[in-house]
Amino acid sequence: MANPVLADRSTATPDKPGRRPRPGFGRRDHVVGWLLIAPALVYFVGFLLYPAIAALYYSFTDWNLRSSPSWVGLSNYTDLLFDDVKYPHFWKSVQVSLLYTVVAVPLTLVAALGQALLVNAIRRGSNFFRLLLFLPVVTAEAAVGAIWRWLYDPQYGLINVILGWFGVPPQNWLNNPDLVIPALAFISAWQCGISMIIYLAGLKGIPVSLREAAIIDGAGPVQRFRRVVMPMLRPTTFYLLVTGVIAALQVFGLVYVIFSAANKSVTGGPEQAGLTYVLHLYLFAFRYDAMGAACAMSFILLVFIMIITALQFKFVKQEAA
Amino acid sequence: MSRRVAGAAAAIALIAGLTACGGGSDAGDTPTLTFWMYQPRTPQAGQIYEDLRKGFEKANNVKVKYVQIAKDDYNTKLSSAIASGTAPDAGVLDQPLVSRFALDKTIVAVPDGTIEESAYYKGALDTNLSEGKLFGLPLDQTTVGLFYNKKLVPTPPKTWDELKATVNQIHQADSKIAGIVVPKGDGYGAWMWPGFVAGAGGALTDDANKKVLFDQQPAVDTLQMWVDLLPSSPRQITDSDNAFANGLAAMMISGPWDVSTIKDQFPDLDFNVAPLPYKTEPAGNIGGENGVVFSTSKNAALAWKFLQYITSDANNAKFADAFGGYPTNVKAAEQTAATIEPQQAAFLEQLKVAHARPAVPQWIQVNDEIIAPALEKALSGKATAQQALTEAADKTRSLLGWNS
Repeated sequence: MANPVLADRSTATPDKPGRRPRPGFGRRDHVVGWLLIAPALVYFVGFLLYPAIAALYYSFTDWNLRSSPSWVGLSNYTDLLFDDVKYPHFWKSVQVSLLYTVVAVPLTLVAALGQALLVNAIRRGSNFFRLLLFLPVVTAEAAVGAIWRWLYDPQYGLINVILGWFGVPPQNWLNNPDLVIPALAFISAWQCGISMIIYLAGLKGIPVSLREAAIIDGAGPVQRFRRVVMPMLRPTTFYLLVTGVIAALQVFGLVYVIFSAANKSVTGGPEQAGLTYVLHLYLFAFRYDAMGAACAMSFILLVFIMIITALQFKFVKQEAA
Repeated sequence: MSRRVAGAAAAIALIAGLTACGGGSDAGDTPTLTFWMYQPRTPQAGQIYEDLRKGFEKANNVKVKYVQIAKDDYNTKLSSAIASGTAPDAGVLDQPLVSRFALDKTIVAVPDGTIEESAYYKGALDTNLSEGKLFGLPLDQTTVGLFYNKKLVPTPPKTWDELKATVNQIHQADSKIAGIVVPKGDGYGAWMWPGFVAGAGGALTDDANKKVLFDQQPAVDTLQMWVDLLPSSPRQITDSDNAFANGLAAMMISGPWDVSTIKDQFPDLDFNVAPLPYKTEPAGNIGGENGVVFSTSKNAALAWKFLQYITSDANNAKFADAFGGYPTNVKAAEQTAATIEPQQAAFLEQLKVAHARPAVPQWIQVNDEIIAPALEKALSGKATAQQALTEAADKTRSLLGWNS
């Protein structure tokens, strides 16, 4: 009982041997139990656990999917990190994904909170608006890609028209290397429906008494938002931040759809400005015949995500105050 | 009791579910040939494949089993099948994959005496080469040509000088219209570029002597020519959706797939297609699919016979058309030429002078990761054509381990 947490728990519910029947495989209800969870278990082992372990193994091999993999030790990892002849765009893809994460995640959180506040404030028809705001999430990615290509069109695009009202000259959003990531991040913010729903739930969970007390104390709407709503939403924000960062670091589908449809080319947009980490990984796995290196990339990403997530748990406030 | 029944039922359901995944076998006395291909693009194309299959079965008293897979998933599924030892006898393979599959001995070389090489277009046949030997038969082929808006370009430019002059003239006459959609420095643009390089008498590589050539004058001139087109063909205009079809760009470089798309969606556009403008000699790039026989096949002789059958004088025109490309068989192409729409004729003409991609297993990666960024670097003005290509050629030499 070295672990204090376990020790606490064992004093709360004593688990002495002999008190209750010990689990065993011979009993019939266990057979039925195993059978009932068998489909989920088969799925977990066959489609999640086994591929993950296999991928770890392949990451130490040179493998083109067809012939048998040959063991190369750590060289996939060291080549990815240090050999810019073999992997000229590896670090570029890291940079692209990081930039995307830094722009897209805050933008998405702000958009989601804004929408949640609006929907929460509406007395009638909030279901309708909630549905409207949620639609971008359930729209097929290919359709999203097509629609946004039109919206970003340098000649006829609605975005340029709207910016034109404010005197901004027309931009070539998806073909100017500096604008690609902001343009993609904006699409992800538009698709913030799930975060919006979670924020909405968070807002509903703030006790009305707090708001009333704040009003009695003379707090205006801005103060109430800053001193009551935001602190009370902290666990929600933390959850959305952590999951949002993980999802943003893995962004793939949208970039793939946007660039392959626009240019018949999946190489990541102008000057590799849209070559996200997972798109780069995908190209090596399925286009350049290097599944071993692609597996190594996925484990580098896994370690990176774990570090980033641990840092967030350490440094970001997560308790409601 | 009821528990026991429930348990048994669950077990049966589980076993039934698992066995349902295994396929039944339909082995009979007649040999069966398994052929993997893409899903038919249209019901009519599917019917053509069926008719060809029946014709072959009847003439040879065998069975042919098609396995048709969505094009996007094809390569992955094929690789998994090969890895798990369930590769088909024969199948379709994208041109640049042939040298890769040959390298790891997944496919076998064409047996001597199987074909008469002169029966095929040279460019298409060359896409089957690996270290000087043929590893497949060309099934269909395609290329890109110069699409031109007849209202803006009455006679299409034949040479680079004419092209530049036409492009400048159009943009000067109306600054809202771009002369031509200049290809991009991406994987697709890098695929088209060698066609222009060959038009200046150059090549990207010398495979036999392991030499990288695209830092030499013909390639540099070609890239410079693309750069020179840009001032009269602003990206702000040409990056608009369907810029050519909407009349915003007077010309574009594209393939036969756009002919039908434009005719369907922009019936008012009066356009035609000409061969690519050249500097010293007419030339073009090439794409398409080959037919290969897998090394695990027990019916290799029959498989080659089937590939000969679909690339024969009599059948290749139908097969290639169903596939969405042009025949690779010279005689079959003559039939196609007689019935073709005017906008398609230039492609077929140009395929006679089309050049295969370098037969280098890593070529797709060189194309995407080295050449494409170099083209973009020059096109965006961040380097001169010579600087960009010298750097790219050096990177390619390092990657391939070639000395010159």
